[in-house]
Amino acid sequence: MSNNSEINFSNFGIYDLKDDLELILPNTSIKFNKISENAFSYFRENSEGKTLEKIIPVKSDDLKIELAPIRPLNHPARRTSHIFLKFDKEIHLSKNSAASIFVHCPVEIGIFLIHDSNHDSLDCFTCNPLNSRFGLYGSPDTGILCKYAEVSLATDFSDSTSYVEGVLQIIIENTLSFSQSISKVVFPMTDNSLYYQNSKTIIDGIKIIMKKRAAVNIADVKAIPIETDWSMSPTWEDKTASTHMEMGLE
Amino acid sequence: MVLELLQSLSEMQIVGELTVLSLLIGGIIMVGGVIIAKIAKLLFHKYYAPSLPKDTAQNISKLIYFGILIVSFLGFTSSQGIDLSGIMVAGGIFAVVIGFATQSVVSNLISGLFLIVEKPAKHGDTIELPDMGISGTLLDIGTFSSKVRRFDGTVTRIPNEKFFTSNIRSLTLSTVRRADVTVGISYDSDIDNAIKVMKNEIFQTMPFVLQIPEPEFRIEELADSSVNIHVFVWHPRDDWSQAQPILLNTLKRALDKSGIEIPFPQRVIWTGKD
Repeated sequence: MSNNSEINFSNFGIYDLKDDLELILPNTSIKFNKISENAFSYFRENSEGKTLEKIIPVKSDDLKIELAPIRPLNHPARRTSHIFLKFDKEIHLSKNSAASIFVHCPVEIGIFLIHDSNHDSLDCFTCNPLNSRFGLYGSPDTGILCKYAEVSLATDFSDSTSYVEGVLQIIIENTLSFSQSISKVVFPMTDNSLYYQNSKTIIDGIKIIMKKRAAVNIADVKAIPIETDWSMSPTWEDKTASTHMEMGLE
Repeated sequence: MVLELLQSLSEMQIVGELTVLSLLIGGIIMVGGVIIAKIAKLLFHKYYAPSLPKDTAQNISKLIYFGILIVSFLGFTSSQGIDLSGIMVAGGIFAVVIGFATQSVVSNLISGLFLIVEKPAKHGDTIELPDMGISGTLLDIGTFSSKVRRFDGTVTRIPNEKFFTSNIRSLTLSTVRRADVTVGISYDSDIDNAIKVMKNEIFQTMPFVLQIPEPEFRIEELADSSVNIHVFVWHPRDDWSQAQPILLNTLKRALDKSGIEIPFPQRVIWTGKD
């Protein structure tokens, strides 16, 4: 994995497994092996040598999986649904003005098992663990824990960094009577869907309206779906909630 | 045959109007009440409790159980033709006597009620009682006592009165927590460089340490053998084990990799000849 430019990485998409399959991603390798007529094994290893192995029993003799980008909320552990994007350059907005910008937003990668039309979450990981950190918005007692990333501006939707960063459109409207400099944005990411094509990712945008409510200036943030012919990623299900055991089976 | 048996039982008087038959009916009511209470409690635990917060579930469970028992007891007394008004007058006097005798029990009971209402901590919270030197996970706030599972796995029972009146430090109420350690570097070392390498190592190897607020480094003391740096890092409240216990190891590794000396106490002795 020393020189990523020379390696042909696997694309996002649906894979129909009849036999063994190896997927190569930056800093990560994934192997599916058929170990019997009705079972596959799953093996993942990252650049630090950390491994994960699972056995997947199947009803038929094949297995259908989907490799897709997911929201960057699960690594190193699922603790929040908010994301904190810190811009590398401040954005200045004059009073009563609006702007539309594109930013790089980190993504994680999910592997899903496809049964009929259902997607079953198998594994998730990040190809860039160093950019998968937490940050706090607000004070320690009342603040919001967020996934934190320092992001740069992108030129347009095609400017996605393969496997690592998607492109997020942010529309900012300043209805206040004075100018504003914006250096960060914090929002719950659970309403934003992700779309992929080959190795690129785009994310549902957000619209921020800065307005005055009573005597307080607030920023109202809401997700805006994008219209695209790219494939929509399945939703990664948080499996941290444990099941209620009655017979000691988990 | 059965009717004759019941007839004979109803004629067998024990005390006053109390017959063997009425006592049997009362017993059936009480036993039935206990069975129904246990079944109701079991069904509640199986189907509803998992979707509720644990302390709420436990309180509702107790309410259901004891509520059915009380109703059964009232059914029992009415089946025996017992007039409760007389018992209540006698009970009032008896309660005063018992109240004095069982002051601490009543105090624990009342404190338990206040704890349930005030909720200084809830089931599953990690708490510390500095006055008693106890820290661990709160298992239950019961009628008379509370239970805390300490980090060594043992369970400590604390009377509710003591629990209510002591300082309770909650380790899970805030979103984030702070871990801190002190590390010493030699006087020859460049402090800024040492801070830079430690910060970098924390960023590289400790994914649960928050980027905002950033790790903080304070020169704590120019000590006898070392310059002591106090390091503070923030982490999500549930990930203490991913920060505090490994922080010192991380800092030592960073300093070792950069060749920065961590000194130990040493004394230079000059003799008269020198």
